[in-house]
Amino acid sequence: MSDLVISVRDLTRSYEMGAEVVQALRGLDLEIRRNEYVAIMGPSGSGKSTLMNMIGCLDTPSSGEYWLNGQEVSRMGDDALARVRNKEIGFVFQTFNLLPRATALHNVELPLVYAGTTARERRARGEEALARVGLADRMHHRPNELSGGQRQRVAIARALVNRPSILLADEPTGNLDSATSDEIMRVFEALHAEGQTVIMVTHEAEIAAHAKRVVVLRDGRVESDVLNQPKAA
Amino acid sequence: MIPLSRIGEGVLMALDAMRANKMRSALTVLGVIIGVATVMTMASIVQGVRSQIFNAIEVAGPTTFYVMRYFSQTPLNPDNLPYEVRIRPVLRESDAEAIRQVPEIQYAGMWIQVFARLEYQGTQTQMITVWAADDHYMELQGGTLLRGRFFTRSELTGEQVMVLEEQTAEHLFGRLDPMERTVRVNGVPFRIIGIYLKPDNIFEPPGQETAGIIPYRAAKYNLRYDETNTLWISVKGRPEISVAKAQDLVTVALRRERKLRPGVPNTFDLITQDQILDIMGSLTSAFFGVMVALSSVALLVGGIGVMAIMMVSVTDRTREIGLRKALGATRREILLQFLVEAATLTLMGGLLGILVGLGLGEVLKRVLNLESSVPLWSAALATVVSVGIGLAFGLYPANKAAAMDPIEALRHE
Ligand SMILES: Nc1ncnc2c1ncn2[C@@H]1O[C@H](COP(=O)(O)OP(=O)(O)O)[C@@H](O)[C@H]1O
Ligand SMILES: [Mg+2]
Repeated sequence: MSDLVISVRDLTRSYEMGAEVVQALRGLDLEIRRNEYVAIMGPSGSGKSTLMNMIGCLDTPSSGEYWLNGQEVSRMGDDALARVRNKEIGFVFQTFNLLPRATALHNVELPLVYAGTTARERRARGEEALARVGLADRMHHRPNELSGGQRQRVAIARALVNRPSILLADEPTGNLDSATSDEIMRVFEALHAEGQTVIMVTHEAEIAAHAKRVVVLRDGRVESDVLNQPKAA
Repeated sequence: MIPLSRIGEGVLMALDAMRANKMRSALTVLGVIIGVATVMTMASIVQGVRSQIFNAIEVAGPTTFYVMRYFSQTPLNPDNLPYEVRIRPVLRESDAEAIRQVPEIQYAGMWIQVFARLEYQGTQTQMITVWAADDHYMELQGGTLLRGRFFTRSELTGEQVMVLEEQTAEHLFGRLDPMERTVRVNGVPFRIIGIYLKPDNIFEPPGQETAGIIPYRAAKYNLRYDETNTLWISVKGRPEISVAKAQDLVTVALRRERKLRPGVPNTFDLITQDQILDIMGSLTSAFFGVMVALSSVALLVGGIGVMAIMMVSVTDRTREIGLRKALGATRREILLQFLVEAATLTLMGGLLGILVGLGLGEVLKRVLNLESSVPLWSAALATVVSVGIGLAFGLYPANKAAAMDPIEALRHE
């Protein structure tokens, strides 16, 4: 099996706004291999979120193809997409999106509920995922008892718990101060070092500098696609 | 397929959501609570009444039957009797005597149910029942003589004597000894010659509790009563013959006594215990039907409340729904989550309603002096119905949640 995780060809997505048609993506091509660490940048409205939704199987293209691990996602129905999201994708959101009344552990277990995992295994894997993001001692805290950085780490643990082929983060540091952003970037780096494929959207160059590859979008197409130079020490 | 454990989880989630919004949840299911409580209360009363009737008839023995001037399911207005009733003669002692002459008949006696207030030196009872019968009363109706004696043969000719029921005695006399004292029955003096304990299982609707027994003729000569609705001949055949056979013999004897030519219809009616059971049964089912209708309205209101609150809950939790979908929940799983939540809500309401209903039933049973336990089926039915209401009225909001687009739901503020 090839190590091509994502293969997007001539992808378009248009939205009908009354009489107008908005072209969010206009024939986009992109390939991402296993264990890449990609930052997607671009001005506001360039189609970053739309692309993330496609890659995350929350949305389907108007035309073009999207292959994820050799499966053509662009032709799948709702239930199949839900299953792919559950197994292959780990989402990290700008606003964390934790269930406020559930403990950290319970939040992390949520994707496993939909995977049909037994309660005992859910617990074990939830604890393991929280330990990976350094929150072994915060498992039974509720989100309002955690700092912003800790909340985002809970969200990352939740994204990891199903051992997804890609970790997708849309502006993961958008709601965090710079010190906390660094903390989250260190988590991403560690995960990447362990072999995780990471794709994140950001408009901050400093954050993008943590990635190994930067894809810049403009008007729904790839404007540039470059490898970051290793930082001088 | 969605595994059962997922439903268990849904219930836990629902309970959690309920804890978060206790007041709102309680108000939501109030209608369900009221509806279920009504059904439960009624079921326990109906059950109680039915078993009392049954027991009463058990005591009287299934072989006892009654001769009446006219048999009507509802009491007739004595001041305005229909023609077909008026042409029939009022029952007389000679009728009872004619029946008693039949060798296969063990007992036949004139009985009157007199509605009266009893009074002793200023202490009064409610309107209750005094039976005018004879010394065989307890053989047919059960009970125990606690003190004194029943009527002698000579007292049956119309002496104003009375065997007083124990509770009534206590009510009227307190710690005084009632024996040989005089109570007034609708103003007419009667001397107490005995105290009697009612059988446990006698069926006595409110206002018809037995307060005492007096000789038939004492009532006939001194008290007012309704000759159509409350006067009858109680008849018991010998154990070796069937009720049907006994009824045939009684019919023949009475027709002969009244000199009815062949082809002329009977001028009296025979009533068996089965018929009484049927009437009581249809009365209680009618009563029950009304209550079911009323509680259905309460349940409907409750269901609409559940639907409204679930709509609010779905809107409140739009982001949560988006998140769950992003994490891999299918439409069906979201649908199930909210259905389970609605059903849990109404099930809680139903269980509370059962408790309230049991409590009310208990109180009413005390008040009405019934003996019964709440039928298990009604608790089971109430549980099923309340879950059903949650599912039915939760379907629309749950479907709304399931149909949400995950991207838009996640963007919801
Ligand atoms: N649901 C939608 N309906 C209509 N237009 C949309 C919708 N989502 C995105 N767009 C439009 O598509 C373009 C790309 O949006 P988006 O992918 O959110 O850009 P970015 O995340 O790079 O800011 C924008 O012009 C935006 O207005
Ligand atoms: Mg965006």
